[in-house]
Amino acid sequence: MTDKEPSTPPVSKKTRAEKLSTIRLIWPWFFLIAMVIVFAIISKTKNNVTFISYRSVQGILVYATQILLIGLAETIIIISGNGGIDLSVHYTLGFAAVISAFIMRAMYAAQLPPILTIAAGFSGGILLTIIPGWFNGMLVAKVKVPPFISTLGMGYVLYGVALLISRGQAIADQPNYLGQIGNGNLLYYWPKHGFSWFKIPTGATQMDLQHIIPLVPNIVAITLVVTILIWFILSKTQFGQHIYAIGGNIQASIRAGIPVASTLTRAYTLAAVLAGIAGVIWASRFTSGASNAGEPTLLFAVAAVVIGGTSMFGGEGRVIGTVIGALIIATIQYGLVILGQQPYWQYVTVGVVVIIAVIVDQLGRKMEHD
Amino acid sequence: MIKNREGQVNMEPLLRAVNLTKRFGGLVAVDDVSFDVRPGEVIGLVGDNGAGKSTFIKMISGVYQPDGGEIYFDGKKVSFIDPRDARDLGIETIYQDLALAENLDVGSNIFLGREMKKRFISEKLSRNIISLVFALPLSALLAWAGLQFYKLPGLALGLVFGLAFGVVLGWLFGSITQLVDRRTMMGESTKALKRLDIEIPSLTQQVRNLSGGQRQSVAIARSIYWNAKVMIMDEPTAALGVSEQRKVLTLVRTLAGQGVPVIIISHNMQDVFAVADRIVILRRGKKVGEQVAAETTPDKIVSLMVGAETVDKMGVIPKALDSNGDPAEA
Repeated sequence: MTDKEPSTPPVSKKTRAEKLSTIRLIWPWFFLIAMVIVFAIISKTKNNVTFISYRSVQGILVYATQILLIGLAETIIIISGNGGIDLSVHYTLGFAAVISAFIMRAMYAAQLPPILTIAAGFSGGILLTIIPGWFNGMLVAKVKVPPFISTLGMGYVLYGVALLISRGQAIADQPNYLGQIGNGNLLYYWPKHGFSWFKIPTGATQMDLQHIIPLVPNIVAITLVVTILIWFILSKTQFGQHIYAIGGNIQASIRAGIPVASTLTRAYTLAAVLAGIAGVIWASRFTSGASNAGEPTLLFAVAAVVIGGTSMFGGEGRVIGTVIGALIIATIQYGLVILGQQPYWQYVTVGVVVIIAVIVDQLGRKMEHD
Repeated sequence: MIKNREGQVNMEPLLRAVNLTKRFGGLVAVDDVSFDVRPGEVIGLVGDNGAGKSTFIKMISGVYQPDGGEIYFDGKKVSFIDPRDARDLGIETIYQDLALAENLDVGSNIFLGREMKKRFISEKLSRNIISLVFALPLSALLAWAGLQFYKLPGLALGLVFGLAFGVVLGWLFGSITQLVDRRTMMGESTKALKRLDIEIPSLTQQVRNLSGGQRQSVAIARSIYWNAKVMIMDEPTAALGVSEQRKVLTLVRTLAGQGVPVIIISHNMQDVFAVADRIVILRRGKKVGEQVAAETTPDKIVSLMVGAETVDKMGVIPKALDSNGDPAEA
């Protein structure tokens, strides 16, 4: 009897645990589908608007880009554990937007070629975020300041610098092409005329515009590429494996010879670079740069991470979870606009979803360990 | 002639501790303790709380440096600056916390920090390539932009910044080519576990879903995979159920049968007698006895541990000690 005892329970426990973790992973998908159905019914009956359309999908995806990029940054940091959170990413976003807009305004005023102007603005905005990201990482990994404090401080520094550079105002006067990048599409389809890459088909008149279907907004495509890259880094590379290991047990990681300090520094730098990418995307969408560009995004991004099932205690989390979390929040935002509701409801709704997510997570974990 | 339970004979000690002493201020934690460890034997290291077991173990695993005495490994005198030195020689210590990342699967834990990689390009080369790929266009772009605004100094500055950013991006993304080879890691882990007759239903599940004994087995398998020559285990059965305890003890004997000596620290006399070939008893930092397990009794060991002369069913009756602090012979 004593010999049978240990072999049977682990087997049943495993399948049960795996079942429960599956529920934890897939409930957001069902939630998203249910939400879309509810929005579709309400908008049809109340406003007589069709919710489910390619325009809605595009709108939601565009709404989701910023939350997703910042959410990916938070995903990396939160997985790395040990109280890991980056409270500076939204200010990093504003900082990058201001830097790139500042560079582009100067070069545009000097009448330099627009393509090179935009290239310099984008790379300048993204690259300068490496500096605060690296500092964050060093403070956390080497000086061992709690991430909560070090990133909070760095966030305010960046906000202040962005305010100083922009003198508290949006930096406008940008090259004409900039808006086309941020608001344009990879592909346009004009029924009976065919496809056109990057720009509205030549020869289309004002009247034709309503018939032309824009496919795949540029910023969605960029975000998709970045998301795949981060998924690849976290799930396939040794660096990603080390982030999970550090999040799971930092002492064991140190004893196992994982370069903990360098891994954490790179993680925080990567997070800042993601915020930088979101920043230049913001600048190209709104053809300006403002220090408060990322204002409400931080908490939405953390909410997306939590909804996606990433553990706030570190060591667990998946990129696909954050994607679905960002989609849920974007759907809420977009749906409220379609329904003509006050946008303030988004905060109430997102808050409720986050609380549901945490309850589902806690219940799942509790049942797993019973 | 020294034989272990598997009947193997080996006279040459693999690890010898000679007259090890450790003081903390005025307190002598370990006082002149010597013993030998031969391949294939299991040594039970017992003693009451504060007897110096942990301090002694920490000296032979490199955590503490002894204040006196010598350590010989494989016939050569060795000294350890830190635990890594001891581990490099093959002296592995498994503490009660096991040092496992519970969020990772079995294979990832066995290869923790030493992941197998799909090697098609070295990390250094890929870092250099990525640096170059970024540095060339960036420095050209920034140099050109600098030239427009600040003439030659701007050009120089742009070049420098472009190169610097290239190097930093190489550092940041250079490791993207270093892919973890999970399949090979799983295969190797399966082999490592099989070699020790360890049964774990699924290697892909998180270690947190394993039982205490299975986790212990994973920690042991990891040490063995990475070439442990001497294993030191601190209370390996403390947190386990009865059948789990037995499995771990069987595993300890398997290790010994494969020639890896095990030093096992335990409070549990039953466990010690179940696995040990020899038992070393410490009391107040001193070695007060070394007995062959087959020729002694738990009562005798306990009386040596606490310094009592007799033990009856009511418990331990302490007796006055002689001048050395040694117990009088029972």
